Amino acid sequence: MMAVSEFLSRAELLKQGAEARVYRVQLLGRPTIVKERFPKLYRHPELDKKLTHRRTVQEVRSILRCRRAGIPAPSLYFVDYTSHCIFMEDVVNSCTVRDHIALLQRSDSPQQLEHLEHLAEQVGRLLAQMHDEDVIHGDLTTSNILLRAPGSGSGSELVLIDFGLSYISALPEDKGVDLYVLEKAFLSTHPHTEPLFEKLLQSYTCSSPRATAVINKLDEVRLRGRKRSMVG
Amino acid sequence: MNLTNTLDIFPDRRVTQMLFKEVKNAAEMRQSAVEGKIQAALINPTMLVDPFQVLVAANKAVHLHTIGKMKTRSLYSEIIFNLSPTNKISDAFKRFGVSDEDDAVMVVVVHSEDELKALSDITEIVDGRQVPVDDLSSLSDSAKIKKLYKVTPQEEKCGSLLDAVVCRMAIKDVL
Ligand SMILES: Nc1ncnc2c1ncn2[C@@H]1O[C@H](COP(=O)(O)O)[C@@H](O)[C@H]1O
Repeated sequence: MMAVSEFLSRAELLKQGAEARVYRVQLLGRPTIVKERFPKLYRHPELDKKLTHRRTVQEVRSILRCRRAGIPAPSLYFVDYTSHCIFMEDVVNSCTVRDHIALLQRSDSPQQLEHLEHLAEQVGRLLAQMHDEDVIHGDLTTSNILLRAPGSGSGSELVLIDFGLSYISALPEDKGVDLYVLEKAFLSTHPHTEPLFEKLLQSYTCSSPRATAVINKLDEVRLRGRKRSMVG
Repeated sequence: MNLTNTLDIFPDRRVTQMLFKEVKNAAEMRQSAVEGKIQAALINPTMLVDPFQVLVAANKAVHLHTIGKMKTRSLYSEIIFNLSPTNKISDAFKRFGVSDEDDAVMVVVVHSEDELKALSDITEIVDGRQVPVDDLSSLSDSAKIKKLYKVTPQEEKCGSLLDAVVCRMAIKDVL
């Protein structure tokens, strides 16, 4: 067996997804997350290898592109392009924005709404920044944005993860669809949060001169989505 | 003063880093490495941010060696190649390999748990003063490093220079 697979067979499995397994390990003294894309047996082996390789490459390229622009994403330590494994920084003391929203919603703090809105605004700003770099995330959900524990220093507290479906595009249409995917996920994960999502979009709009074109496309995509669901 | 780490993925492999200052025979050392008399990577420490950077390069070299996919001829040249942000082998040696006139050298050896003779053999050849590996921070030239790895000012706001460097090392195969 290959050394990497053998190493992972002894590692702590965090998540078994449809495309990948996520592990938590120590690598060279650092807390590390490993994302391993495994073969999909129903696909033709050659095609499968190409697709899996492409996803791995897209993921690491987008992470570097974001980081270069000052957009927080996990640092990369080691990539095995043979077993399609990415070894990256474990963002310690973090939780997903999804869990944090749920936590805030359950709290009975008088500042609950204020905190939720602040978070939504932060997310909106971050996504505008990402789209300004022409990075399309491809799978935006509140689980794919981590919130570093407040007070852990480094400026912005949000960290984008899971760039496996990402690609580079300057088209407002692609950015609009990216937001549409988030909107669907957001509203189904966090029921009755339409005004909160609206705040997110407002902050997105204020953060980039190119945002208006994207929001117009988002409106078009929503309309198409609605028509499709009426037909189907 | 040696810094020895185990490679987690290759539990029987150790990486030992030894840092020397006031080195008077860098040319001779380099020649011995070229001729294979020294089994080690001789690195110019001004291009290193932290020992972790060397570990990342060594881990990748051992990995590619194991699966037969190295880009260079030996494990030690591969470590030097892996440090570089580009895929040009000659550039990597020019920037990260030791030069004849250098007076500081980072020596990196990959060995098994009981192969300690390889280390003492090397210390015997070096005409210089061994210092703790952590002294690296006083030798490293961050302006030169930022320029070579093309680290942006924004990037340093969301992470350390070390993170910026190892990211580029990890991704250079698919640039
Ligand atoms: N770099 C990371 N640091 C900390 N936790 C992570 C990281 N990457 C993934 N996770 C966790 O693992 C889960 C699944 O990862 P993913 O499949 O990449 O969405 C995420 O929802 C996070 O809780």
